[in-house]
Amino acid sequence: MDLILPILRKEHKKHGYLSEDILKKISKKTKVPVSRLYAVATFYTMLHTEKQGKNIIEICGSPSCYLNGELDLENFLEKELNIEFGQTTKDKKISLYKTSCIGCCDKAPAMLLNGKAITNLTKEKVKTILKKCRS
Amino acid sequence: MQILEKTELKALKKARNLGPKKTISLLNKKGLTGRGGASFPTGKKWEFALKQKSKEKYVICNADEGEPGTFKDKFIMQKNPETLIEGILIASETIGAKQAYIYLRGEYENLKSKLEKTITKVIRKAKTKVNIEIILGAGAYVCGEETAIIKSIEGFRGQPYLKPPYPPVEGLYGKPTVINNVETLTAAAHAILLDNWNSLLRLFCISGDVTKPGVYELPAGIKLSEAMKLAKPKNPVKSVYFGCFGGCMPYKDIELTHDNICGEDCVSGSCTMIVVDNTRSIVDLAYVISKFFAYESCGKCTPCREGSVRILLLIKKIRQGKATAQDLNLLQELGEHIGQTSLCGLGQSCTNHILTSLKHFRKDFEKELR
Repeated sequence: MDLILPILRKEHKKHGYLSEDILKKISKKTKVPVSRLYAVATFYTMLHTEKQGKNIIEICGSPSCYLNGELDLENFLEKELNIEFGQTTKDKKISLYKTSCIGCCDKAPAMLLNGKAITNLTKEKVKTILKKCRS
Repeated sequence: MQILEKTELKALKKARNLGPKKTISLLNKKGLTGRGGASFPTGKKWEFALKQKSKEKYVICNADEGEPGTFKDKFIMQKNPETLIEGILIASETIGAKQAYIYLRGEYENLKSKLEKTITKVIRKAKTKVNIEIILGAGAYVCGEETAIIKSIEGFRGQPYLKPPYPPVEGLYGKPTVINNVETLTAAAHAILLDNWNSLLRLFCISGDVTKPGVYELPAGIKLSEAMKLAKPKNPVKSVYFGCFGGCMPYKDIELTHDNICGEDCVSGSCTMIVVDNTRSIVDLAYVISKFFAYESCGKCTPCREGSVRILLLIKKIRQGKATAQDLNLLQELGEHIGQTSLCGLGQSCTNHILTSLKHFRKDFEKELR
């Protein structure tokens, strides 16, 4: 029996998102209806069916991060990137999301940059990250 | 720390010598209960699965640690993965499962490669027929719920379903399945091996308005003030939140036991404490937590899907200064209904924070009324 979620994750990693074409190909290979693959792909926050930016930033909005000044960073990110959460910058370099707790509460505030946790965030640190993402 | 003691396959050896039945009665005698939040006796769970006559059985290690403010399982997987893997092997061999899965949350992807290496190493040394595979989640809080994990691994949307049948009877692919949390499986190895194993020691995750956040191993029953002395709050403590689902209580120097916490209408669950000091408004916390639940509701049952959004809108209205006393009553009523009528633990507990904060900090809400 094929494990669907690992296959979807693998293809997502390869292409950066799961387009209709990609899902159809997976469907052919696994014999799982494309409707179900789409249902699964749209259930999880880390799987996308639209093309994403080169870098994905997900800032943690849980209480521990909130209590350590995450809200300022949210505003800062939106202003710096000139987009809202859930959007991608025009140059397709950065997609911006909020995420639920990422388990870095002892080093709050924290974010995931392309799946990697970056902790003890400050505006300065975020600035450096954005600079790297844009280059 | 007791949880970091290395068992070096001696616990597995002892369990093999004892055999399934005696291993389970030893766990029952030692008093190991689930550390994921529900505190179900671990030995009993294994016993249910052992009794099932089935060629195929499964063990799932729940490493989908999504409760905000909780990071103890990550701590164990980083510091003592060998003992965790040993615990999984003990559970599998005891109930007769040949396949085990670690359902690791997507946010912990960076732990995967080290865990895989540990699995290979431990399995080779243990000479076992059990296969352990890591399945990476992809971002869904509800997938910490056991039936949602099953659906997720089976390749469906990770949405919970009604129990019974319970997983030890009918779980993954309809086969008997034991699902235990990371801390529980690690502690199982300790409980079996160590004569002086202390069942009261738990991992507390303390974060929020403190200068020394972290994982602390403390005995259940310790005074809240003692825990705070370790975590060093920045200012006088106003309230403690037991994760997002556990509700909040005003700072009181109670002994942290299950009964005492429930006496405050809170749920201790996985021993998570988010400390909130007296510079904060509880309404702001209610906003942050309501946003979380509206975002994470899986959408399957109506009370949680629609209710969590209604709660968020009401809190927004309060923060905008547009709400009336009637809205507060509606908030209360809605909170009670959602809790009583939702399908799974997420929905049933998603308004604990509203009900407890309205009970203990109503003044914070009233201050912002029209």
